[in-house]
Amino acid sequence: MSTVFDPDEGRLRRAKAPVSIVILFLLPLIFMPLAAVFVFAFRGGPKAFVHALAAREAQFALRFSLLIAFATAAINAVLGTYTAYVLSRYRFRGQRPLGILVNLPVAIPTVVVGTSLLLLWGPIGLLGRWLEPLGIQPMFAPAGVLLAHLFVTFPYMLGAVKPVLDELEGTYEEAAYTIGANRWQTFRHVILPTLRGGLLSGALLTFAHSLGEFGATVLVSGNLRLRTQTAPLYIFAQFEAGDIAAANAVATVLAVLSFLIFFVLMRYTVRQRD
Amino acid sequence: MSITLDNVSKRYGNGQVVVDRVSLEVRTGELFVLLGASGSGKSTILRMLAGLVTPSEGTIRFAGKDVTQLAPQKRDVGLVFQNYSIFRHMTVGENIEFGLKIRGVAAAEREHRREELLDLVGLGGLSARYESQLSGGQRQRVALARALAYKPTVLLLDEPFGALDVKIRSQLRQNLKEIQKTLGVTTVLVTHDQEEGFDLGQRIGIMDRGRLLELGTPEELYAHPRSLFVATFLGAGTVLVGRCRDHHVALGPLRLPIPPEVAHDEGDRARVLIRPEQVRLAESEPPPPAVVLGRGEIVEQNFSGAIRRTRVRLPPLPGVRQVVPPLPYGEENPLLDVVVPALDPPAPSRPWVVLEAWHILRQPTPRLLVCDEGSGIAPALELGKTLVDALDAIPTVLGVAEDSRGQDSLRAALTARAADAQLPEAVVRVRRGNTAEQITLEEREAPYDFVIAGAGDLHPRPGRHRNLADELVPRIRTALLLVRGRPRAIQRILVCTAVGEPGKGDVRAGGWLARRLNATVTLLHVAMPARTAVSLARSHLERGIATLRELEVVSRASIREAATPLEGILAELRSEPYDLVVIGSPLQFTRAPRGSTVTQQVVQQAGCSILVVPAGTW
Amino acid sequence: MTETTGLPRRRGLAPSLFLAALLLYAAWPWLPFSRAATTPPTIVFYGFSIVADVMNDALFPAFQRIWAAEGHGDVEFISSFAGSGTVTNQVLMGVPAQVVLLSLESDADRIAKAGVVAPGSWKKLPEAGVVNLTPFVILVRSGNPLGIRDFEDLTRPGVRIVHPDPLTSGGANWALLAEYGAGARAHPESPGAGEALLAGVWKRVVAQASSARAARTQFENGFGDALITYEQDAIYDRARGKLHADVVWPRRTILSEHTLVVVDRHIRPSERPMIARFVRFLWSEEAQRTFVKYGFRSAHEEWNSDNPNFGRIEDPFRIADFGGWERARPEIVEKIWKERVLHLEAKR
Repeated sequence: MSTVFDPDEGRLRRAKAPVSIVILFLLPLIFMPLAAVFVFAFRGGPKAFVHALAAREAQFALRFSLLIAFATAAINAVLGTYTAYVLSRYRFRGQRPLGILVNLPVAIPTVVVGTSLLLLWGPIGLLGRWLEPLGIQPMFAPAGVLLAHLFVTFPYMLGAVKPVLDELEGTYEEAAYTIGANRWQTFRHVILPTLRGGLLSGALLTFAHSLGEFGATVLVSGNLRLRTQTAPLYIFAQFEAGDIAAANAVATVLAVLSFLIFFVLMRYTVRQRD
Repeated sequence: MSITLDNVSKRYGNGQVVVDRVSLEVRTGELFVLLGASGSGKSTILRMLAGLVTPSEGTIRFAGKDVTQLAPQKRDVGLVFQNYSIFRHMTVGENIEFGLKIRGVAAAEREHRREELLDLVGLGGLSARYESQLSGGQRQRVALARALAYKPTVLLLDEPFGALDVKIRSQLRQNLKEIQKTLGVTTVLVTHDQEEGFDLGQRIGIMDRGRLLELGTPEELYAHPRSLFVATFLGAGTVLVGRCRDHHVALGPLRLPIPPEVAHDEGDRARVLIRPEQVRLAESEPPPPAVVLGRGEIVEQNFSGAIRRTRVRLPPLPGVRQVVPPLPYGEENPLLDVVVPALDPPAPSRPWVVLEAWHILRQPTPRLLVCDEGSGIAPALELGKTLVDALDAIPTVLGVAEDSRGQDSLRAALTARAADAQLPEAVVRVRRGNTAEQITLEEREAPYDFVIAGAGDLHPRPGRHRNLADELVPRIRTALLLVRGRPRAIQRILVCTAVGEPGKGDVRAGGWLARRLNATVTLLHVAMPARTAVSLARSHLERGIATLRELEVVSRASIREAATPLEGILAELRSEPYDLVVIGSPLQFTRAPRGSTVTQQVVQQAGCSILVVPAGTW
Repeated sequence: MTETTGLPRRRGLAPSLFLAALLLYAAWPWLPFSRAATTPPTIVFYGFSIVADVMNDALFPAFQRIWAAEGHGDVEFISSFAGSGTVTNQVLMGVPAQVVLLSLESDADRIAKAGVVAPGSWKKLPEAGVVNLTPFVILVRSGNPLGIRDFEDLTRPGVRIVHPDPLTSGGANWALLAEYGAGARAHPESPGAGEALLAGVWKRVVAQASSARAARTQFENGFGDALITYEQDAIYDRARGKLHADVVWPRRTILSEHTLVVVDRHIRPSERPMIARFVRFLWSEEAQRTFVKYGFRSAHEEWNSDNPNFGRIEDPFRIADFGGWERARPEIVEKIWKERVLHLEAKR
């Protein structure tokens, strides 16, 4: 990796110094902090690590986080793809504002997302105050966590799928129509297969973000152990309580999962480019 | 299966007309080519046939059955797109089988059919490939096989060779021709390439700006085009304009007989198309009956394989003007393009130019836009009928509705009124919005020769709501015929001229109408004291009279003294029972105060119909 | 050109299997055939930060045993621990808390004011709702290198103090009163002495954490020279050998009182006996001695001798000495600290 391609000269040029510089600043910035998590996780030996991981709250937090991530990825795959399809295929009044609006969640601080959800669905919120007497209380419950994660991760699926759809010529669908496929068949057999790459990377991105979501979750979940505490909240709570071993054990699992997702994503995008 | 298009139009929301009243029939088993430049509407027609675009008006029939509103899935058409749109995640085989799979055909039969098609298009053995592994020509054949897989009754091809190398085009054309012949499927192919059209089409339709101009076999269209556009769009050639004299076109020393099917009037200009291969260059003056244009001069020679392209400058031909190709700046004599076999001895530098054949183009048919309100008296429709008969013109009846709800009822009313006025063949159009604006838009979008509308009341109260005529006059760019009162047969026409534009638009338009309506013309000049010298006015009128004489119209001149042009015109109108006033309208570069131009005053105060001729139109 | 299906499907098998396994793992407790599927009745407990260990490790399991022994079967605790102010805010936002243990009564007042519980409802509980107590002490680095003996020493230049944030932490409010009270009681003749000491200490604050527990973790991670915190926090860790610091007992300091609030509106009638039993249990000898074991002081002095680690305080004082939180909060926290001390800080 110590050579780069020089487009002007058309040959590989040695680049020791630039690469060293990059590694030099990435080391304290990214690599070493990551390593620290692993080091601390295993400082007490593998037994302590397993013990910390086997704690009931830790298990719950991991499972809950994974389930929420699965559900978020699945639901946003459907909603995001449909939204992308509509935005890409139809021309309508207010299209541009809508296109900007649906991408807004990435720009809003997650804490603000949490607050706004609470102020809408919470027991004293705009809608929540009418729902509470009916026994419907999405906040401080798994549903609230799911809502927050759907909100926060919505743009990722859209961002992964829409460019593919935009690139697809309109005649692609029309070809299917004239061949005899109805809208659903066209979507199922012609559009969806071409979206597979976008869907996969979008779902992985969504999954990864959901797994790590903190800002909004901490507000809407009520941070209840064994009920709404996600893995990041667990890590934070344990860390704050001084139980660094417990925090690190779960943090390590999260890190490994993120690495795996990232690895698949990279491999996939590289394969796509080839 | 035959395809019929009946008055099919496609307009988009912004008022843009992409297909304009196209009617045509494609016969069963025929390979029909729609030829036109990009933007001519040919692809839209194809997409309407496929059901991907719904016509705004008109009917499409397959084998007599109305399919205008039928979804593309139900039309049983095969469509090959210009970009082929091969499904990239499917193999060639899966692409071809897709239509069969959708139709629930069993796997074994699909496979059989797939192999059959791969053989037919010459792609045997490539079934497992993906689009990315195919060449352009192979892709095109996959698209063709995919479109044919489910045995469609109609095959549509949109520029199927557009994305291919020139080299392989001709071979693929032959393949397509053979396949089409073998299967006998009714086929419509769209292309902008004239050579392709000639090669493939059993018949060709030429499209221009949304309209189907001409229809015929390649040979007919090449040899006997009716319009200038088709003449020049298909193949090279020179078009010269001469005058009609005694059923002949005078072209310099030549008098070329006008064939009976070309309607013409004495003194009209007629256009003569001369193809490069219809000219012979001779060393010495050939004896009669050779048709000799004169002794020319070779300007340019290009050797290009089998032929030699030569450009010859003709001797000056009085009264002859060249329209196509446009003459370079400074060139006064016509330039004739000639091709001769390359192996013939080179032409002498000053050859005699002999015409072996030529073609006289038809006169353009006048088009009338008749504006009607859909209720009340219908003066515009009545006059429209008169003019349609006299001019052999094509009428369009236009109504403007206030909102979308009114559109349908207005359309029905206009159709009924057109029939009442004995204009059943008129196309009815309904637009929505402000009346004057919409009329102006319609007039800009389609080429009309006359716009006919009601003139409104005499002496409208100024400042109150403006009447239609008043709003139209400054905007419109086509000759505008405003009908006042019940239209009478037009027998006496008053043409009001102004000094400085003798023989210009108003005189020509008035004269042109007068000849066709057998009317007499009075040429009026209003002399204002201390303004124009009477002698100048007289010479000006004389030139006008000369123009009218050339048109063989009975005419006389009149000079009236008055304080203002309006007073003079009104006085003249009182003195004789005129049926029509013709008056020019200056181009409005700036917004004039309301009702201030003479033209507008005449429109408001003249008691008879008025023809307003905008500057620069006639 | 992209090509996604050209590759044999088999290549996607491993990731798919992994994903399926992950999903199975995640969903396992909720699957119909897993034994965890039957859920016992639950008690939702919100507590301020330092009670987390004693509740999780000792009292929840103890009550579960008692409840089972009394023939009621299983009970599960759903719990959340954060700064007392955070817990209060969460309760105000509507978290489904049933039993709330706060580090100061004024937080309970806020909850009552918002109408979540009846005003003063906790006063009907034993000891007026005070579950346990603990004095505020100073934590210094091992060997006390700066020689800190009392609050006055914290005002010295160069001392760096980690302090919990009074806006979210109950402990921080107690610490404020401890600092103010120590000054006022040392110089009863001078009316400004309390404020002077408070301002002097705050001049040295270098970090504020959201809860007493978080402040403790910051200190633990090497930040600052001194931390003002609950005695319980310090001696509990020392007993477990986890304290890498020295405890300094000031001569004068406050004893914090931790109030229990029962949120009736979140308790279904069927859960009422269970929660009443749990609340009663917290004041039982067993529970109170457990608190003492974990470093809290009980209102019953005789049980406090169980813990030899408790330090001696010459002049302990209580919130009642300030006229209760209803007076202390507006006069000391709001007026003196928020308006004057903090303002001074901001100007600096």
